[in-house]
Amino acid sequence: MRTSAAPNRRPFDLGRAAYLGVNGLLLVFLLAPIAIVLVFALNPTPYISFPPVGVSLRWFDKFFSSPDFTNALALSLWVAACTLVLSVTIGGACALALVRGNLPGRAFLTPFFMSPLMLPAILTGLALFQAYLLAGIGRPVWGLILGHTVVAVPYVLRTTLAVLHNFDRRIEEAAAVLGASPTRVFFEVTLPLIRPGVFAGGVFAFIVSFDQFPVSLFLVVPKGETLPVVLFNYMKFDLDGAIAAASMVSILLALAVVLALERLIGLRAYVKL
Amino acid sequence: MTAVSIRRPSPIAWLIAPAALLFVLFFVLPFGVMAALSFFSANPISNPNAFLTTRHYERFIDDTAGIFHDALWATLRIGLVTTVVALLIGYPLAHWMARMHSRLGHALVLIAVIAPMLTGIVVRTFAWMTLLQDRGVINTLLLQWGLIGSPLPLMYNEFGTVVALVHIYVPFMVLTLTGVIGRIDERLEQAARSLGAGRVRTFLEVTLPLSLPGILAGSLLVFALSISAYVTPSLMGGTDVLTLPMLIAQQVSTSFNPSFAGALGVILLLVSLTIVVAYNRILARVSGEQGMA
Repeated sequence: MRTSAAPNRRPFDLGRAAYLGVNGLLLVFLLAPIAIVLVFALNPTPYISFPPVGVSLRWFDKFFSSPDFTNALALSLWVAACTLVLSVTIGGACALALVRGNLPGRAFLTPFFMSPLMLPAILTGLALFQAYLLAGIGRPVWGLILGHTVVAVPYVLRTTLAVLHNFDRRIEEAAAVLGASPTRVFFEVTLPLIRPGVFAGGVFAFIVSFDQFPVSLFLVVPKGETLPVVLFNYMKFDLDGAIAAASMVSILLALAVVLALERLIGLRAYVKL
Repeated sequence: MTAVSIRRPSPIAWLIAPAALLFVLFFVLPFGVMAALSFFSANPISNPNAFLTTRHYERFIDDTAGIFHDALWATLRIGLVTTVVALLIGYPLAHWMARMHSRLGHALVLIAVIAPMLTGIVVRTFAWMTLLQDRGVINTLLLQWGLIGSPLPLMYNEFGTVVALVHIYVPFMVLTLTGVIGRIDERLEQAARSLGAGRVRTFLEVTLPLSLPGILAGSLLVFALSISAYVTPSLMGGTDVLTLPMLIAQQVSTSFNPSFAGALGVILLLVSLTIVVAYNRILARVSGEQGMA
């Protein structure tokens, strides 16, 4: 049982220092790869090389002047925006029904709607591809959006359910006692109170869709690919700064989203999800 | 009056309809189609000569080319190693976060954990390619410092694949574990310490057993995610690594054999479902024992 660690009760706490040291290294492991992308996005050499020789925006220029990249970025943003709206509406409504609807079989329904998280996403993509193939509808953009919505709904569901479970129902009862109709209680009390959860879920939905690869893989058409698919195909043959610049664009978008998220409900709530 | 009206089955139940419709049409039905197609020789709508067959599964089981079984084992092996490493890396971070009293420190670590999660699989795989390739950051530095004579084979093999997969999925482990460790009553640990147990013994005999449900939940999540990974093994693995998802993508895009891809999909699905069921059983048993104790 006794391993080679932590002698206790000493002025210099070796165990504590080791604990913090290990965790510090792990943080470096988590963050260094992202920092390195920034370095390569700004490094002007024509191939990935280290150490960097200077600072330039040529890769951002290449990214934004290539129609392949910008079209893909536009498509990804459009699909992510649609997915956000759809999954917030559908997932938010679903969460309310699960908690408030007194539905039979709730114990089964919640894991069912969460299951796209557990099942391999590449199979969701494959299954949709097969279904569209069989139905003979080709690979329309709305099919891609609905595929993304299926994998995004669980995120909205999770954040909204978390808020609903912490919800003090006496506030609603108070509103009702004071004479508000059920409809008014819903729109003026319930909805504002769960809004942070729904919004936070929507932020996740946007990111999940914007960075989505496995579901998109089989559902995009040539010349109509989303940004992650374009980047993946590019990376198979070329590994230059354009990918790093594209990555930076994605990371900055993610960062903006994290900040928006902190503004909306505070990050601490996320640990409880 | 209000209490009664809230408890009655309410019209709010209808709000589930859009989600139910979406999931039936774009989730359940497609998986049914995939399973059904895997028993047809070809697309039964476009090809009137298509017939029912189990030959796609026989092809996998017979494995005359000797690649399918290897791909299945490689998938499971990479998933398992990734899970174990992610647990070893994720546990200290999760423990640190759960036990941190400073709000600011907690928020900063949380941002550090969530930020990589929000940067996309393709981007993070790219980052690891720039780090681990022959002319990448690590090999360049090691060569410059004279520690190695020739670049280490850090990429285009299972090692590189696992490193990148761990980085991509460890946040899921950390977030799952943090929740569970945070709910452990710290007074139990203090009691063990005051009764004379050392820090290590307290951890091994109190904290660790109590965080077992989190360990199982996090491990299952990471395993399920890493056996279905496609981007990372195909970019980091080079020609050395062939996993089930890569095989599926090959069958769809290169060989255009959606029926065989469907059969492979069903096999991967069965593996995933087995894990989910096993995990639920273990979790039920663990929480049951804790309830009795």
